[in-house]
Amino acid sequence: MNITVRSEKATLVSQISLIDIHRQFGGSRGGWKALDGVSFDVETGEIVGLLGPSGCGKSTVLNIVAGLDAGYEGSMTIQGRTVKEQLSSGFRIAYVFQEARLLPWRTLRQNIEFALEANDFARTEWAGRIDRVLELVELSKFRDFYPLQLSGGMQQRAAIARAFAIEPDILLMDEPFSALDELTARRLRQSLLNIWAAFRSTVLFVSHNAFESTYLGDRVLIMSPGPGGKIKEEIDLRHLKRPRDYEDSALFEQSKRVVESLQRHIGRALDH
Amino acid sequence: MAVMARSEAPENTGFLAGLLAAFSGGGDERARNALISTLSVATLIGIWYLGSLALPSSVLPAPLTVIVALWENLLKGDIYTDIAITLARIGAAFVIAMGMALVLGFSMALSKTAGTFFQVWIICGITMPALVVILTLYMVVGLNDTAAVLGAAAPVIPILSINIREGVKGIDTRLIGMARAFRAGKRQQIVQVMAPQVAPMLLASTRFGIGLIWKMVLFVELLGRGSGVGYRIEFFYQMFNMTEVLAHALSFVFVMLFIEIAVLGTIERRIFRWKRT
Repeated sequence: MNITVRSEKATLVSQISLIDIHRQFGGSRGGWKALDGVSFDVETGEIVGLLGPSGCGKSTVLNIVAGLDAGYEGSMTIQGRTVKEQLSSGFRIAYVFQEARLLPWRTLRQNIEFALEANDFARTEWAGRIDRVLELVELSKFRDFYPLQLSGGMQQRAAIARAFAIEPDILLMDEPFSALDELTARRLRQSLLNIWAAFRSTVLFVSHNAFESTYLGDRVLIMSPGPGGKIKEEIDLRHLKRPRDYEDSALFEQSKRVVESLQRHIGRALDH
Repeated sequence: MAVMARSEAPENTGFLAGLLAAFSGGGDERARNALISTLSVATLIGIWYLGSLALPSSVLPAPLTVIVALWENLLKGDIYTDIAITLARIGAAFVIAMGMALVLGFSMALSKTAGTFFQVWIICGITMPALVVILTLYMVVGLNDTAAVLGAAAPVIPILSINIREGVKGIDTRLIGMARAFRAGKRQQIVQVMAPQVAPMLLASTRFGIGLIWKMVLFVELLGRGSGVGYRIEFFYQMFNMTEVLAHALSFVFVMLFIEIAVLGTIERRIFRWKRT
């Protein structure tokens, strides 16, 4: 197994940079404004959470960063270049969805192979990468199982393994743990941070769970309710040392701060 | 971490499918299903036997009489020619019907314009009696094999088209979203994400289509051909020989059972291994 670690790119510019992003769905009449001037930066290797109520445009932001949604106004760059340019020069973006979205007719190994093939990895590297990521999410024994033979939590861990198998520069996660029960979700968050520690990808995730965002994030960005979502507040959590502990009182304190901020901004919108 | 076992309940779509499920059903249930199917066949034969006791043998001969007649036919050998001719017609009609239905079904599922445009055709096709379609084709094309094959295919096309349309509409777009997010190329999306999702529907349509077409082919042969199992049945019916009528019908039931169980059942087991634990 031989996985080359890519040399650190000199980063004078931010890894991800969004400046004044607007996104309108449908026509101007009867349409819907999802984003109304969203700006933020994410540094290389940072974990940033977008927190807000349902329908505030969080997922729209992820789709724009992923390069799946090009219908926005404003400027979105990755290391100073457009997503398209970056992707064509071998930059890799991985995605973890709310549901595992594994192909049910393929075993876990074959599901990871799907992502490796899509990202043009040499076949000789496949076995090594698959072994490594499945090991990191503790699913090695289940490599030849079909997704439907596994529990929901295991499926989601496999989805996380698939995302890291392509050694992504950026990992995007859309409410990855919200479909799981709290205990399973906790184990998966730890699992995620373990595997992240091995790869140090830049992570941008979306959540509506304040505690989850605090536990995972270096920073949490609070979004206002839609339509016309924008960033209302940024909460810095970089002083919370990793690996973090669920029982840490400092974590609870910060989590309370996040909840208060969330209530303040959602509450204000509801007063209208 | 519990490994959840999923057992797929066999779909109840008639006797053939039930029998098939019995032979291809998974694991523990297999023996039980085989037993139920055996009982089911025994019951059918029992009802037939009781009926033959109540009615004169010229109207409904006993099962054994028919089996003996079938056996003698098989020994004589003429019946194989008829079976081969009918199978060839079924094959040709199926290829035509499936081809047309695939084009119609996919275009209706993927394009709104095509969906609305062909909707009227489909409704007309379904409401038009098969008898009228077959007779019209015999008049227009002539009393030949082309007309026979077209006549057997045409009434099946609208029904198959609807099946395929619904199957294509049922594709899970979230998986396509996943493929796009991981930058899978168009080829990978079609071969590895779309095709496996369409496969179960195609197999179901194949099974359904062949079942319908074989009935249509007998009908077509009865109406306007001088060969094939359908013609033989018509011939013996005119002679009031119900034993031969049933013997010929039975011969083809066995052929169709073979196709269902041995051919389609095997394909199903191969393709859908992932559905079973």
